[in-house]
Amino acid sequence: MMLVHYVRLELLRLLRDPGYLIMTLASPLTMYLVFTNLDLGGGTSADGAVYSMVGMAGFGAIGAVMTSGVSIAEDKPLGWIRQLRLLPLAPSQVVVGRALCAMAAAVPPIAAICLAGGLVNDVSMPPERWILVIVLLWLGIAPLAVLGVGFGYLLTAQKAQMAGLTVYMGLSLLGGLWFPISKMPSWLADVSRVTPVNRYGELSWQVAGGHAPTLVGTLVLAAWATAFTVFAVVGYRRSAQTV
Amino acid sequence: MSKSFGDVRAVRDLDLRLEQGRTVALLGPNGAGKSTLISMILGLRTPDAGTVRVLGETPERAVRAGRVGAMPQTGRLIGGVTVRELVGFVQRAHAAVTRGPMPSQDELMAIARISDLGGRRADALSGGQAQRVRFALAVAGAPDLIVLDEPTAALDIESRRELWAAIRACAERGATVLFSTHYLEEADAEADRIVVVDRGRIAADGTSDEIKRRVPGRTVSVDASVLPDPSGLPGVVSSEVDGRRVRLHTTDADATVLALAAAGAVRDLEVTGASLEQAFLTLTHAGAETAAPTAAAAAAAKEIVR
Repeated sequence: MMLVHYVRLELLRLLRDPGYLIMTLASPLTMYLVFTNLDLGGGTSADGAVYSMVGMAGFGAIGAVMTSGVSIAEDKPLGWIRQLRLLPLAPSQVVVGRALCAMAAAVPPIAAICLAGGLVNDVSMPPERWILVIVLLWLGIAPLAVLGVGFGYLLTAQKAQMAGLTVYMGLSLLGGLWFPISKMPSWLADVSRVTPVNRYGELSWQVAGGHAPTLVGTLVLAAWATAFTVFAVVGYRRSAQTV
Repeated sequence: MSKSFGDVRAVRDLDLRLEQGRTVALLGPNGAGKSTLISMILGLRTPDAGTVRVLGETPERAVRAGRVGAMPQTGRLIGGVTVRELVGFVQRAHAAVTRGPMPSQDELMAIARISDLGGRRADALSGGQAQRVRFALAVAGAPDLIVLDEPTAALDIESRRELWAAIRACAERGATVLFSTHYLEEADAEADRIVVVDRGRIAADGTSDEIKRRVPGRTVSVDASVLPDPSGLPGVVSSEVDGRRVRLHTTDADATVLALAAAGAVRDLEVTGASLEQAFLTLTHAGAETAAPTAAAAAAAKEIVR
Protein backbone atom coordinates (compact mmCIF):
# COMPACT_ATOMS: atom_id res chain seq x y z
CA MET A 1 0.00 0.00 0.00
CA MET A 2 1.59 3.15 -1.29
CA LEU A 3 -0.04 5.40 1.28
CA VAL A 4 1.83 3.62 4.09
CA HIS A 5 5.22 4.28 2.48
CA TYR A 6 4.43 7.93 2.00
CA VAL A 7 3.12 8.41 5.54
CA ARG A 8 6.18 6.62 6.90
CA LEU A 9 8.54 8.93 5.03
CA GLU A 10 6.78 12.09 6.15
CA LEU A 11 6.54 10.79 9.73
CA LEU A 12 10.28 10.19 9.74
CA ARG A 13 10.81 13.80 8.77
CA LEU A 14 8.38 14.93 11.46
CA LEU A 15 10.00 12.89 14.22
CA ARG A 16 13.46 14.12 13.29
CA ASP A 17 12.33 17.67 13.95
CA PRO A 18 11.47 17.46 17.68
CA GLY A 19 11.52 21.24 18.06
CA TYR A 20 8.41 21.32 15.98
CA LEU A 21 6.59 18.82 18.19
CA ILE A 22 7.58 20.62 21.37
CA MET A 23 6.38 23.92 19.95
CA THR A 24 2.92 22.58 19.13
CA LEU A 25 2.68 21.14 22.62
CA ALA A 26 3.99 23.89 24.86
CA SER A 27 1.57 26.71 24.16
CA PRO A 28 -1.77 24.87 24.47
CA LEU A 29 -0.53 23.03 27.56
CA THR A 30 0.52 26.27 29.23
CA MET A 31 -2.73 27.96 28.25
CA TYR A 32 -4.73 25.02 29.58
CA LEU A 33 -3.08 25.09 32.98
CA VAL A 34 -3.30 28.89 33.25
CA PHE A 35 -6.91 29.07 32.02
CA THR A 36 -8.19 26.40 34.32
CA ASN A 37 -6.41 27.82 37.33
CA LEU A 38 -7.76 31.32 36.61
CA ASP A 39 -11.17 29.66 36.35
CA LEU A 40 -12.17 31.20 33.03
CA GLY A 41 -13.66 27.95 31.79
CA GLY A 42 -16.91 26.35 32.73
CA GLY A 43 -16.55 26.83 36.47
CA THR A 44 -15.21 24.48 39.06
CA SER A 45 -17.77 21.77 38.46
CA ALA A 46 -16.68 18.39 37.17
CA ASP A 47 -18.45 19.15 33.87
CA GLY A 48 -16.50 22.37 33.56
CA ALA A 49 -13.21 20.58 34.09
CA VAL A 50 -13.99 18.07 31.34
CA TYR A 51 -15.22 20.89 29.13
CA SER A 52 -12.02 22.91 29.29
CA MET A 53 -9.80 19.84 28.98
CA VAL A 54 -11.49 18.76 25.75
CA GLY A 55 -11.56 22.36 24.50
CA MET A 56 -7.87 22.95 25.10
CA ALA A 57 -6.85 19.54 23.76
CA GLY A 58 -8.82 20.36 20.60
CA PHE A 59 -7.19 23.79 20.49
CA GLY A 60 -3.74 22.19 20.71
CA ALA A 61 -4.65 19.70 17.99
CA ILE A 62 -5.77 22.51 15.66
CA GLY A 63 -2.49 24.31 16.28
CA ALA A 64 -0.55 21.18 15.40
CA VAL A 65 -2.37 20.47 12.13
CA MET A 66 -2.13 24.11 11.05
CA THR A 67 1.60 24.08 11.76
CA SER A 68 1.98 21.07 9.49
CA GLY A 69 0.33 23.13 6.77
CA VAL A 70 3.16 25.61 7.14
CA SER A 71 5.77 22.87 6.81
CA ILE A 72 4.09 21.72 3.56
CA ALA A 73 4.33 25.27 2.24
CA GLU A 74 8.02 25.20 3.15
CA ASP A 75 8.46 22.05 1.04
CA LYS A 76 7.19 23.78 -2.06
CA PRO A 77 10.24 25.88 -2.93
CA LEU A 78 12.30 22.68 -2.65
CA GLY A 79 10.24 21.15 -5.44
CA TRP A 80 9.11 18.29 -3.20
CA ILE A 81 5.41 18.69 -4.05
CA ARG A 82 6.26 18.59 -7.74
CA GLN A 83 8.50 15.59 -7.16
CA LEU A 84 5.50 13.78 -5.66
CA ARG A 85 3.36 14.88 -8.59
CA LEU A 86 5.82 13.14 -10.91
CA LEU A 87 5.56 9.83 -9.05
CA PRO A 88 2.88 7.25 -9.71
CA LEU A 89 0.83 8.51 -6.75
CA ALA A 90 -2.77 9.67 -6.95
CA PRO A 91 -3.27 13.24 -5.69
CA SER A 92 -5.79 11.91 -3.17
CA GLN A 93 -3.16 9.52 -1.78
CA VAL A 94 -0.69 12.34 -1.27
CA VAL A 95 -3.27 14.60 0.35
CA VAL A 96 -4.60 11.89 2.65
CA GLY A 97 -1.06 10.81 3.51
CA ARG A 98 -0.03 14.29 4.44
CA ALA A 99 -3.25 14.82 6.40
CA LEU A 100 -2.49 11.64 8.39
CA CYS A 101 0.92 13.07 9.24
CA ALA A 102 -0.71 16.30 10.36
CA MET A 103 -2.99 14.19 12.54
CA ALA A 104 0.05 12.40 13.94
CA ALA A 105 1.44 15.78 14.95
CA ALA A 106 -1.80 16.38 16.87
CA VAL A 107 -1.18 13.38 19.13
CA PRO A 108 1.31 15.06 21.53
CA PRO A 109 -0.89 18.07 22.43
CA ILE A 110 -3.99 15.87 22.82
CA ALA A 111 -2.10 13.37 24.98
CA ALA A 112 -0.36 16.03 27.08
CA ILE A 113 -3.51 18.00 27.84
CA CYS A 114 -5.56 14.91 28.67
CA LEU A 115 -2.75 13.77 30.92
CA ALA A 116 -2.63 17.16 32.62
CA GLY A 117 -6.42 17.07 32.91
CA GLY A 118 -6.37 13.72 34.65
CA LEU A 119 -3.33 14.27 36.85
CA VAL A 120 -3.37 17.99 37.64
CA ASN A 121 -6.98 19.08 37.22
CA ASP A 122 -8.64 15.96 38.60
CA VAL A 123 -10.77 15.20 35.57
CA SER A 124 -12.27 11.81 36.18
CA MET A 125 -14.19 9.58 33.81
CA PRO A 126 -14.66 5.84 33.42
CA PRO A 127 -11.74 4.35 31.43
CA GLU A 128 -13.84 3.59 28.32
CA ARG A 129 -14.94 7.24 28.18
CA TRP A 130 -11.35 8.42 28.45
CA ILE A 131 -10.48 6.22 25.50
CA LEU A 132 -13.42 7.42 23.44
CA VAL A 133 -12.74 11.08 24.23
CA ILE A 134 -9.11 10.77 23.20
CA VAL A 135 -9.88 8.76 20.07
CA LEU A 136 -12.53 11.26 18.95
CA LEU A 137 -10.25 14.20 19.69
CA TRP A 138 -7.80 12.58 17.33
CA LEU A 139 -10.14 11.31 14.59
CA GLY A 140 -12.27 14.45 14.65
CA ILE A 141 -9.31 16.65 13.77
CA ALA A 142 -9.19 15.03 10.29
CA PRO A 143 -11.24 17.72 8.45
CA LEU A 144 -9.11 20.50 9.89
CA ALA A 145 -5.95 18.55 9.14
CA VAL A 146 -7.02 18.42 5.50
CA LEU A 147 -7.73 22.16 5.59
CA GLY A 148 -4.26 22.86 6.95
CA VAL A 149 -2.77 20.64 4.24
CA GLY A 150 -4.72 22.61 1.62
CA PHE A 151 -3.35 25.90 3.00
CA GLY A 152 0.12 24.42 2.71
CA TYR A 153 -0.33 23.49 -0.95
CA LEU A 154 -1.98 26.72 -2.05
CA LEU A 155 -0.20 29.37 -0.01
CA THR A 156 3.34 30.51 0.66
CA ALA A 157 4.74 29.59 4.06
CA GLN A 158 4.07 33.06 5.39
CA LYS A 159 0.48 33.15 4.18
CA ALA A 160 -0.14 29.58 5.31
CA GLN A 161 0.99 30.67 8.75
CA MET A 162 -1.42 33.62 8.72
CA ALA A 163 -4.30 31.44 7.53
CA GLY A 164 -3.43 28.76 10.06
CA LEU A 165 -3.24 31.27 12.88
CA THR A 166 -6.63 32.70 11.91
CA VAL A 167 -8.19 29.26 12.13
CA TYR A 168 -6.24 28.37 15.28
CA MET A 169 -7.24 31.48 17.21
CA GLY A 170 -10.37 32.67 15.44
CA LEU A 171 -12.21 29.41 14.92
CA SER A 172 -11.16 28.05 18.31
CA LEU A 173 -12.72 31.09 19.94
CA LEU A 174 -15.80 31.08 17.74
CA GLY A 175 -16.12 27.31 17.93
CA GLY A 176 -16.36 27.43 21.70
CA LEU A 177 -13.11 25.70 22.58
CA TRP A 178 -12.11 28.49 24.99
CA PHE A 179 -15.49 29.06 26.60
CA PRO A 180 -18.87 27.39 26.03
CA ILE A 181 -21.08 28.76 23.28
CA SER A 182 -23.91 28.88 25.81
CA LYS A 183 -22.18 32.05 27.06
CA MET A 184 -22.35 33.61 23.58
CA PRO A 185 -25.21 35.72 22.18
CA SER A 186 -27.64 33.31 20.56
CA TRP A 187 -26.94 34.48 17.00
CA LEU A 188 -23.23 33.92 17.52
CA ALA A 189 -23.90 30.51 19.01
CA ASP A 190 -25.88 29.67 15.85
CA VAL A 191 -22.93 30.69 13.71
CA SER A 192 -20.65 28.64 15.94
CA ARG A 193 -22.71 25.49 15.43
CA VAL A 194 -21.99 25.64 11.70
CA THR A 195 -18.23 25.72 12.19
CA PRO A 196 -16.20 22.53 11.94
CA VAL A 197 -14.36 23.45 15.13
CA ASN A 198 -17.49 23.54 17.28
CA ARG A 199 -18.70 20.24 15.89
CA TYR A 200 -15.25 18.77 16.40
CA GLY A 201 -15.31 19.71 20.07
CA GLU A 202 -18.90 18.54 20.36
CA LEU A 203 -17.90 14.96 19.46
CA SER A 204 -15.79 14.60 22.59
CA TRP A 205 -17.96 16.76 24.86
CA GLN A 206 -20.91 14.50 24.05
CA VAL A 207 -18.97 11.33 24.71
CA ALA A 208 -17.44 12.75 27.91
CA GLY A 209 -20.94 13.42 29.13
CA GLY A 210 -21.97 9.86 28.40
CA HIS A 211 -23.91 10.65 25.21
CA ALA A 212 -23.41 9.50 21.63
CA PRO A 213 -22.15 12.12 19.12
CA THR A 214 -25.08 13.94 17.52
CA LEU A 215 -26.13 13.05 13.99
CA VAL A 216 -26.33 16.71 12.92
CA GLY A 217 -22.89 17.40 14.33
CA THR A 218 -21.38 14.43 12.54
CA LEU A 219 -23.01 15.45 9.25
CA VAL A 220 -21.79 19.05 9.55
CA LEU A 221 -18.29 17.74 10.20
CA ALA A 222 -18.52 15.33 7.26
CA ALA A 223 -19.66 18.14 4.94
CA TRP A 224 -16.68 20.27 5.96
CA ALA A 225 -14.38 17.27 5.53
CA THR A 226 -15.60 16.82 1.95
CA ALA A 227 -15.23 20.50 1.09
CA PHE A 228 -11.73 20.70 2.63
CA THR A 229 -10.62 17.55 0.81
CA VAL A 230 -11.65 19.03 -2.55
CA PHE A 231 -9.85 22.24 -1.58
CA ALA A 232 -6.68 20.35 -0.67
CA VAL A 233 -6.64 18.13 -3.77
CA VAL A 234 -7.14 21.16 -6.04
CA GLY A 235 -4.41 22.95 -4.10
CA TYR A 236 -2.04 20.03 -4.54
CA ARG A 237 -2.64 19.84 -8.26
CA ARG A 238 -2.16 23.57 -8.67
CA SER A 239 0.95 23.77 -6.55
CA ALA A 240 3.04 21.61 -8.88
CA GLN A 241 2.53 23.29 -12.23
CA THR A 242 6.05 24.36 -12.95
CA VAL A 243 9.13 22.33 -13.71
CA MET B 1 0.78 22.88 -28.95
CA SER B 2 0.73 26.38 -27.54
CA LYS B 3 0.99 27.90 -24.08
CA SER B 4 0.87 31.53 -23.02
CA PHE B 5 1.32 33.23 -19.68
CA GLY B 6 -0.50 36.53 -19.93
CA ASP B 7 1.07 38.32 -22.89
CA VAL B 8 4.04 35.99 -23.01
CA ARG B 9 3.65 33.28 -25.62
CA ALA B 10 5.99 30.71 -24.13
CA VAL B 11 5.28 27.95 -26.64
CA ARG B 12 3.79 28.71 -30.05
CA ASP B 13 2.26 26.10 -32.34
CA LEU B 14 5.04 23.71 -31.58
CA ASP B 15 4.86 20.24 -33.09
CA LEU B 16 7.25 17.57 -31.94
CA ARG B 17 7.38 13.81 -32.23
CA LEU B 18 10.01 11.74 -30.48
CA GLU B 19 10.98 8.23 -31.51
CA GLN B 20 11.33 5.70 -28.73
CA GLY B 21 14.79 4.75 -27.57
CA ARG B 22 16.51 7.88 -28.83
CA THR B 23 18.27 10.61 -26.89
CA VAL B 24 16.99 14.01 -27.91
CA ALA B 25 18.31 17.41 -26.85
CA LEU B 26 16.15 20.49 -26.56
CA LEU B 27 18.65 23.22 -27.20
CA GLY B 28 17.78 26.83 -26.60
CA PRO B 29 18.62 29.98 -24.69
CA ASN B 30 16.90 31.02 -21.47
CA GLY B 31 13.27 31.90 -22.03
CA ALA B 32 13.07 29.85 -25.23
CA GLY B 33 10.15 27.86 -23.86
CA LYS B 34 12.02 24.65 -23.06
CA SER B 35 10.79 24.36 -19.51
CA THR B 36 7.21 25.20 -20.46
CA LEU B 37 7.33 22.55 -23.15
CA ILE B 38 8.69 20.02 -20.66
CA SER B 39 6.06 20.90 -18.05
CA MET B 40 3.37 20.12 -20.64
CA ILE B 41 5.02 16.83 -21.62
CA LEU B 42 4.99 15.90 -17.92
CA GLY B 43 1.37 16.93 -17.49
CA LEU B 44 2.19 19.59 -14.90
CA ARG B 45 0.69 22.22 -17.17
CA THR B 46 -2.08 21.96 -19.73
CA PRO B 47 -1.52 23.42 -23.21
CA ASP B 48 -3.82 26.30 -24.24
CA ALA B 49 -4.13 24.65 -27.65
CA GLY B 50 -3.12 21.26 -28.97
CA THR B 51 -2.59 18.00 -27.13
CA VAL B 52 0.27 15.97 -25.75
CA ARG B 53 0.47 12.20 -25.91
CA VAL B 54 3.17 10.35 -24.03
CA LEU B 55 3.69 6.70 -24.93
CA GLY B 56 0.20 6.70 -26.42
CA GLU B 57 -1.46 8.08 -23.28
CA THR B 58 -2.16 11.42 -21.66
CA PRO B 59 0.85 12.70 -19.69
CA GLU B 60 -1.02 12.24 -16.39
CA ARG B 61 -1.72 8.60 -17.17
CA ALA B 62 1.81 7.93 -18.33
CA VAL B 63 3.16 9.46 -15.11
CA ARG B 64 0.63 7.57 -13.00
CA ALA B 65 1.66 4.35 -14.71
CA GLY B 66 5.26 5.01 -13.71
CA ARG B 67 6.41 5.15 -17.32
CA VAL B 68 7.89 8.63 -17.07
CA GLY B 69 10.76 9.80 -14.90
CA ALA B 70 11.66 13.43 -14.65
CA MET B 71 14.26 15.69 -13.20
CA PRO B 72 12.95 19.25 -13.08
CA GLN B 73 15.30 22.14 -13.57
CA THR B 74 15.02 23.61 -10.10
CA GLY B 75 14.54 21.89 -6.82
CA ARG B 76 16.53 20.72 -3.87
CA LEU B 77 16.20 17.61 -1.77
CA ILE B 78 14.08 17.55 1.36
CA GLY B 79 15.50 17.48 4.85
CA GLY B 80 14.97 14.92 7.57
CA VAL B 81 15.67 11.84 5.46
CA THR B 82 18.75 10.00 4.29
CA VAL B 83 19.51 9.44 0.63
CA ARG B 84 18.76 5.75 1.05
CA GLU B 85 15.36 6.45 2.64
CA LEU B 86 14.43 8.93 -0.07
CA VAL B 87 15.49 6.73 -2.97
CA GLY B 88 13.82 3.74 -1.32
CA PHE B 89 10.54 5.60 -0.99
CA VAL B 90 10.51 6.67 -4.63
CA GLN B 91 11.36 3.15 -5.73
CA ARG B 92 8.53 1.70 -3.66
CA ALA B 93 6.16 4.25 -5.20
CA HIS B 94 7.12 2.87 -8.60
CA ALA B 95 7.16 -0.77 -7.55
CA ALA B 96 3.42 -0.58 -6.88
CA VAL B 97 2.67 0.12 -10.56
CA THR B 98 5.64 -0.92 -12.66
CA ARG B 99 5.18 -4.18 -14.51
CA GLY B 100 8.62 -4.54 -16.02
CA PRO B 101 11.86 -5.37 -14.21
CA MET B 102 13.17 -2.69 -11.89
CA PRO B 103 16.72 -2.35 -10.65
CA SER B 104 17.28 -3.17 -6.98
CA GLN B 105 18.01 -0.20 -4.78
CA ASP B 106 21.71 -1.03 -4.72
CA GLU B 107 21.79 -1.33 -8.50
CA LEU B 108 19.95 1.95 -8.89
CA MET B 109 22.31 3.74 -6.55
CA ALA B 110 25.27 2.27 -8.43
CA ILE B 111 23.86 3.45 -11.78
CA ALA B 112 23.37 6.95 -10.41
CA ARG B 113 26.81 6.83 -8.76
CA ILE B 114 25.49 7.54 -5.30
CA SER B 115 26.31 4.20 -3.64
CA ASP B 116 28.57 5.96 -1.15
CA LEU B 117 25.93 8.53 -0.19
CA GLY B 118 23.24 6.21 1.21
CA GLY B 119 23.62 7.25 4.84
CA ARG B 120 23.94 10.97 4.18
CA ARG B 121 21.16 13.44 4.87
CA ALA B 122 19.57 14.32 1.54
CA ASP B 123 19.70 18.06 2.19
CA ALA B 124 23.38 18.08 3.08
CA LEU B 125 24.95 17.12 -0.24
CA SER B 126 27.10 19.01 -2.71
CA GLY B 127 25.51 20.27 -5.92
CA GLY B 128 26.83 17.40 -8.03
CA GLN B 129 25.88 14.76 -5.45
CA ALA B 130 22.37 16.18 -5.04
CA GLN B 131 21.91 16.25 -8.80
CA ARG B 132 22.86 12.57 -9.06
CA VAL B 133 20.40 11.73 -6.28
CA ARG B 134 17.71 13.67 -8.13
CA PHE B 135 18.62 11.69 -11.21
CA ALA B 136 18.27 8.45 -9.24
CA LEU B 137 14.78 9.58 -8.19
CA ALA B 138 13.91 10.24 -11.84
CA VAL B 139 14.96 6.79 -13.03
CA ALA B 140 13.98 4.81 -9.92
CA GLY B 141 11.10 3.10 -11.69
CA ALA B 142 13.07 2.22 -14.83
CA PRO B 143 10.84 4.57 -16.87
CA ASP B 144 10.44 4.35 -20.64
CA LEU B 145 10.78 8.10 -20.98
CA ILE B 146 13.31 10.13 -19.00
CA VAL B 147 12.89 13.90 -19.08
CA LEU B 148 15.75 16.02 -17.77
CA ASP B 149 15.42 19.79 -17.66
CA GLU B 150 18.90 21.31 -17.82
CA PRO B 151 20.39 18.44 -15.82
CA THR B 152 23.94 19.80 -15.83
CA ALA B 153 23.26 23.49 -15.25
CA ALA B 154 25.50 24.85 -12.48
CA LEU B 155 27.55 21.65 -12.23
CA ASP B 156 31.32 21.55 -12.46
CA ILE B 157 32.96 19.54 -15.21
CA GLU B 158 33.63 16.47 -13.11
CA SER B 159 30.02 16.34 -11.84
CA ARG B 160 28.77 16.83 -15.36
CA ARG B 161 30.83 13.92 -16.59
CA GLU B 162 29.57 11.65 -13.82
CA LEU B 163 25.95 12.59 -14.38
CA TRP B 164 26.24 11.96 -18.10
CA ALA B 165 27.77 8.56 -17.47
CA ALA B 166 24.67 7.73 -15.42
CA ILE B 167 22.27 9.11 -18.04
CA ARG B 168 24.01 7.14 -20.78
CA ALA B 169 23.70 3.95 -18.75
CA CYS B 170 19.92 4.43 -18.73
CA ALA B 171 19.76 5.32 -22.41
CA GLU B 172 21.65 2.14 -23.21
CA ARG B 173 18.90 0.14 -21.53
CA GLY B 174 16.53 1.42 -24.19
CA ALA B 175 14.94 4.40 -22.43
CA THR B 176 14.00 7.46 -24.43
CA VAL B 177 15.84 10.47 -23.04
CA LEU B 178 14.74 14.05 -23.58
CA PHE B 179 16.99 16.68 -22.06
CA SER B 180 17.22 20.42 -22.35
CA THR B 181 20.45 22.34 -22.38
CA HIS B 182 22.07 25.67 -23.16
CA TYR B 183 25.20 24.02 -24.43
CA LEU B 184 25.62 23.11 -28.07
CA GLU B 185 28.63 20.95 -27.15
CA GLU B 186 26.55 18.94 -24.68
CA ALA B 187 23.75 18.41 -27.18
CA ASP B 188 26.35 17.51 -29.78
CA ALA B 189 28.09 14.97 -27.57
CA GLU B 190 25.06 13.27 -26.03
CA ALA B 191 22.06 13.50 -28.34
CA ASP B 192 21.03 11.50 -31.40
CA ARG B 193 18.88 14.41 -32.39
CA ILE B 194 18.89 18.09 -31.53
CA VAL B 195 15.75 20.19 -31.48
CA VAL B 196 16.61 23.86 -31.35
CA VAL B 197 13.92 25.88 -29.62
CA ASP B 198 13.78 29.64 -29.75
CA ARG B 199 10.99 31.97 -28.67
CA GLY B 200 8.54 29.12 -28.32
CA ARG B 201 9.13 27.65 -31.75
CA ILE B 202 11.32 24.95 -33.22
CA ALA B 203 14.10 26.83 -34.98
CA ALA B 204 15.92 23.74 -36.21
CA ASP B 205 15.59 20.01 -35.85
CA GLY B 206 18.07 17.38 -36.95
CA THR B 207 21.13 15.36 -36.15
CA SER B 208 24.07 16.99 -34.50
CA ASP B 209 25.89 17.34 -37.84
CA GLU B 210 22.90 18.94 -39.50
CA ILE B 211 22.48 21.42 -36.67
CA LYS B 212 26.16 22.28 -36.51
CA ARG B 213 26.10 23.04 -40.19
CA ARG B 214 23.43 25.62 -39.51
CA VAL B 215 24.36 26.94 -36.09
CA PRO B 216 27.43 29.18 -36.29
CA GLY B 217 29.75 28.02 -33.54
CA ARG B 218 32.45 30.66 -34.02
CA THR B 219 32.68 34.34 -34.67
CA VAL B 220 35.57 35.55 -36.85
CA SER B 221 36.15 39.27 -36.81
CA VAL B 222 38.55 41.44 -38.82
CA ASP B 223 39.08 45.11 -39.42
CA ALA B 224 36.25 46.35 -41.62
CA SER B 225 38.56 48.32 -43.89
CA VAL B 226 40.06 45.15 -45.39
CA LEU B 227 36.75 43.43 -45.97
CA PRO B 228 34.19 45.64 -47.71
CA ASP B 229 31.91 42.74 -48.69
CA PRO B 230 31.63 39.67 -46.46
CA SER B 231 29.20 37.80 -48.74
CA GLY B 232 30.28 34.54 -50.32
CA LEU B 233 32.77 33.54 -47.65
CA PRO B 234 32.65 29.82 -46.83
CA GLY B 235 30.89 28.87 -43.59
CA VAL B 236 29.54 32.33 -42.88
CA VAL B 237 25.87 32.26 -41.91
CA SER B 238 25.53 35.94 -41.09
CA SER B 239 27.62 38.98 -40.50
CA GLU B 240 27.44 42.40 -38.95
CA VAL B 241 29.51 45.53 -38.87
CA ASP B 242 30.26 46.85 -35.43
CA GLY B 243 32.12 50.14 -35.67
CA ARG B 244 35.43 49.44 -37.36
CA ARG B 245 35.11 45.70 -37.14
CA VAL B 246 33.13 43.22 -39.14
CA ARG B 247 31.93 40.11 -37.36
CA LEU B 248 31.34 36.90 -39.29
CA HIS B 249 29.26 34.17 -37.66
CA THR B 250 30.51 30.96 -39.12
CA THR B 251 29.88 27.25 -38.96
CA ASP B 252 33.40 26.55 -40.20
CA ALA B 253 35.94 28.97 -38.77
CA ASP B 254 38.89 27.21 -40.48
CA ALA B 255 37.42 27.61 -43.96
CA THR B 256 36.40 31.17 -43.26
CA VAL B 257 39.85 32.16 -42.04
CA LEU B 258 41.58 30.44 -44.98
CA ALA B 259 39.31 32.27 -47.43
CA LEU B 260 40.00 35.57 -45.68
CA ALA B 261 43.75 34.92 -45.89
CA ALA B 262 43.49 34.02 -49.57
CA ALA B 263 41.67 37.29 -50.19
CA GLY B 264 44.31 39.16 -48.20
CA ALA B 265 41.60 40.36 -45.83
CA VAL B 266 43.35 39.58 -42.57
CA ARG B 267 43.93 42.49 -40.23
CA ASP B 268 43.45 42.23 -36.49
CA LEU B 269 41.93 38.76 -36.94
CA GLU B 270 40.09 37.37 -33.94
CA VAL B 271 38.26 34.05 -33.62
CA THR B 272 35.92 33.59 -30.65
CA GLY B 273 33.27 31.07 -29.68
CA ALA B 274 29.88 32.46 -30.59
CA SER B 275 27.45 32.89 -27.75
CA LEU B 276 24.46 30.63 -28.01
CA GLU B 277 22.15 33.63 -28.07
CA GLN B 278 24.02 34.96 -31.09
CA ALA B 279 23.87 31.58 -32.76
CA PHE B 280 20.14 31.38 -32.23
CA LEU B 281 19.58 34.86 -33.50
CA THR B 282 21.24 33.91 -36.75
CA LEU B 283 19.46 30.63 -36.96
CA THR B 284 15.98 31.97 -36.30
CA HIS B 285 16.41 34.82 -38.75
CA ALA B 286 17.71 32.47 -41.40
CA GLY B 287 15.05 29.84 -40.69
CA ALA B 288 12.11 32.20 -40.33
CA GLU B 289 10.73 31.69 -43.83
CA THR B 290 11.08 27.91 -43.83
CA ALA B 291 9.80 27.44 -40.29
CA ALA B 292 6.60 29.46 -40.68
CA PRO B 293 4.53 27.13 -42.91
CA THR B 294 5.31 24.06 -40.79
CA ALA B 295 4.35 25.88 -37.63
CA ALA B 296 1.07 27.04 -39.15
CA ALA B 297 0.17 23.49 -40.12
CA ALA B 298 0.83 22.27 -36.61
CA ALA B 299 -2.54 23.03 -35.02
CA ALA B 300 -3.69 19.41 -34.92
CA ALA B 301 -2.91 16.77 -32.32
CA LYS B 302 0.71 16.35 -31.40
CA GLU B 303 2.24 13.11 -30.39
CA ILE B 304 5.23 12.82 -28.19
CA VAL B 305 6.89 9.43 -28.21
CA ARG B 306 4.75 6.70 -29.67
